[in-house]
Amino acid sequence: MDVLDFLVDPLRSGIDRRALLELALVGGFCGALGFWVVTERLVYSAESLSHGLLPGLVLAALAGAPLLLGAAGGALVAAALIAFAARDPRIGPDTGTAVAVTGLVGLGALLALAPDSPQRLEELLFGDPLGVTDGDLAAAAILLVLGGAALVALHRPLSAVAFDAGGAAAAGLRPAPVRLVLLVLLAAAVGVAVQGLGALLVLAVLIGPPLAVRHHARTPARAMLGGAAVAVLAGSVGIEVSFHAHSAAGASVALALCAAAALGSALRPSPGWARGGAWQRSRRRARALPGR
Amino acid sequence: MNGTAVRVEQLAAAYRGEPVLEHVTFEAQEGESVCVLGPNGGGKTTLFRVLLGELEPTAGRMELSGRPAYMAQTERTRLDFPVTAFDVALMGTLAAGRWWLPPRRPERDAAAAALERVGLAGVAGVRFGELSGGQRQRALLARALVQDAPVLLLDEPLSGVDPASATLITGVFDELRSEGRALLVASHDVESARSFDLVLCLNRHQVAFGAPAETLNRAALEATYGHELIVLDDGGGTRAVTVQHHEHGD
Amino acid sequence: MPSPLDLADLPFLREALLELVLLAVTGGVLGAWIVLRRLAFFSHAAGSATFPGLVAADASGVSPTIAGIAVALGYAGGVQRAGRGGAGSAASETARDHGEATALLLVAALATGVILASDVFESGAVVDRLLFGTLLGLDTADLVLSAVVAALAAAGALALGRTWSAVGFDPDGAHALGLPAGRADLLLLVLVAVAAVAAIPAVGALLVTAIYVLPAAAARMLTASIRGLVACALGVALAEGIVGLYLAYWLDVPAGPPVAVLGALVCLVLAAVTKRAAA
Repeated sequence: MDVLDFLVDPLRSGIDRRALLELALVGGFCGALGFWVVTERLVYSAESLSHGLLPGLVLAALAGAPLLLGAAGGALVAAALIAFAARDPRIGPDTGTAVAVTGLVGLGALLALAPDSPQRLEELLFGDPLGVTDGDLAAAAILLVLGGAALVALHRPLSAVAFDAGGAAAAGLRPAPVRLVLLVLLAAAVGVAVQGLGALLVLAVLIGPPLAVRHHARTPARAMLGGAAVAVLAGSVGIEVSFHAHSAAGASVALALCAAAALGSALRPSPGWARGGAWQRSRRRARALPGR
Repeated sequence: MNGTAVRVEQLAAAYRGEPVLEHVTFEAQEGESVCVLGPNGGGKTTLFRVLLGELEPTAGRMELSGRPAYMAQTERTRLDFPVTAFDVALMGTLAAGRWWLPPRRPERDAAAAALERVGLAGVAGVRFGELSGGQRQRALLARALVQDAPVLLLDEPLSGVDPASATLITGVFDELRSEGRALLVASHDVESARSFDLVLCLNRHQVAFGAPAETLNRAALEATYGHELIVLDDGGGTRAVTVQHHEHGD
Repeated sequence: MPSPLDLADLPFLREALLELVLLAVTGGVLGAWIVLRRLAFFSHAAGSATFPGLVAADASGVSPTIAGIAVALGYAGGVQRAGRGGAGSAASETARDHGEATALLLVAALATGVILASDVFESGAVVDRLLFGTLLGLDTADLVLSAVVAALAAAGALALGRTWSAVGFDPDGAHALGLPAGRADLLLLVLVAVAAVAAIPAVGALLVTAIYVLPAAAARMLTASIRGLVACALGVALAEGIVGLYLAYWLDVPAGPPVAVLGALVCLVLAAVTKRAAA
């Protein structure tokens, strides 16, 4: 079969075309946002949030409501519960988060597996890119436009806080509101992306791309753009593989994103690029100074 | 060894391939106290780790009259771990071996005695995290006392300690010395070093070693502390004030 | 509502009851240490990492026990080596620092398992069973593994408890006491990982924390001594396991979800109530 035909075949299918578009839109934003998620050490929070919103998803599916609503509500409840549990000093944040997330995942499974509910649990857990609706596409487009605008507008404050929170605060830029905006963007991204990748795999689109470009991008801007590009590319590869190999679409995309991260980490550039370039170097310098 | 508790010759150590300590040569007799001065990262803790056998030296020799007991810095202990002052003292008995057995009567008695000695008998059942800073240091000292070691390595035992606890702790140090034990105390306090028998100045290598009167001169102090030091000349001799740096976490 | 006595009368429920009791023993004894040494994430990760191996074993006829244990040992060893110093530094306090690579590894594991199950082996139903547990599908091999794990956990805690405590309280000081801290912690990680595998048939790979972390976390709200924690965790785990099993039977769902919801509720309510009482 002609190689071009091979690649273009999925585009002939309306379903896969829409899946590709959805993943491109979502990947474009999440691949960029992921840089800040990793830099600000929000990976664990992102994972807990995405797992913890499962009951919201299930309830939305049971009620026939849009999944985005369920994801948003679920994320809110999860955030509140995790915040409460993680704050208990007797068990610590690691255990507290585990308590909240395990309870929520269990609740989601309970609601989904009770006999008279529709069996959509696997799609909610692992995603359903091929079932993307017009509403989902619209939400993804809005996320990319508004979220992207927010990232551009906040670029300097985000960089300042991530580079040196103490110094930024001293200069009058309080880290807390900046981090809050980041969390809100994270929750929005998770809420939209969960349709295509599912609660358990959505982390891949947030963490895979930044890890893939970590050693190759010299500035935050390049890391974000590179991440977006990697996400879109990996998403396309995942859909292609899923189309030809008839494998689960969401899982295929997630694996492609993980593979991109592994590949990007393994292909370290020559020492001349000094482990990540200017961005990492200046961060390490800031950390090493005495009195900090 | 005839009364020598610690002897170290041309000791060198490296951490992950990077040399952190070189040319360390000193000796302490039974009953002597050595103040180990130096900046953060200067090698005080590294020296202790080598003496404890945790870190293999890359060069040199060392001799000890027995297995040393170690009193760690409190910052490295977890305050939320549910152990009482008594439990902490009891941990010292693990050093005698047979750690797989539950604690026996003699071990419990030794722990109680050690707590008594540091003045914590009244708070033996209080959780470590709920003790004051000075009480915590004393509990860690009790853990070291229980081991009945001929050499004690004490890492900044008086940092952040209230005056009453400090007096008590230094009192115990004097008792230990009269018992014939050797004490190596890592410290940031240059002034207090004058009250020790010997001073060892480290800054990734040995800068000076000897009695305080000879060792604590301006040149040695500047070589040890570099920019961290302010040296005041007040006519009667030099007084040194160290600027202590704490590493702030990321 | 079915009668609770069915748990003892019906053969398949008797097996499920025995399994949960055995898991609860481990949940109490080892769970206390999981909470004390901050290994909650590690125990969850060990369960999730095993998932694709179990899918493959299930489809190819290899004993899932062996496959699971092999993966568990590999995972524990990998975490230990990455931490360079034992559970104190490896899997717990720095879980957030290692979080990126580990989190991605877990996503890859779950995705691989799903693809294997639905497309390679075409055994879709096994996914729900492996992720959330089963009431009916427990066999003797599962019971034997759980019994062995419970025995090992109890023996390990008795012999190594003092060491685990010393290391958890002060890793540097523990080394100085001449304790085999690294090996003791490796053993702890191995025990937790193998225990996670043992719990998968009954409560599922995603919810092993339901029986190993949640009861002990609830117990921690009630007591602040190590011995008290072990005893209390044991009691809470047994109670939650049995009640959870009853709920699973009543609602016709696998055992994992009800035990998880019950465990979280108990822990969070106790946290709120005891905090108010203390304040």
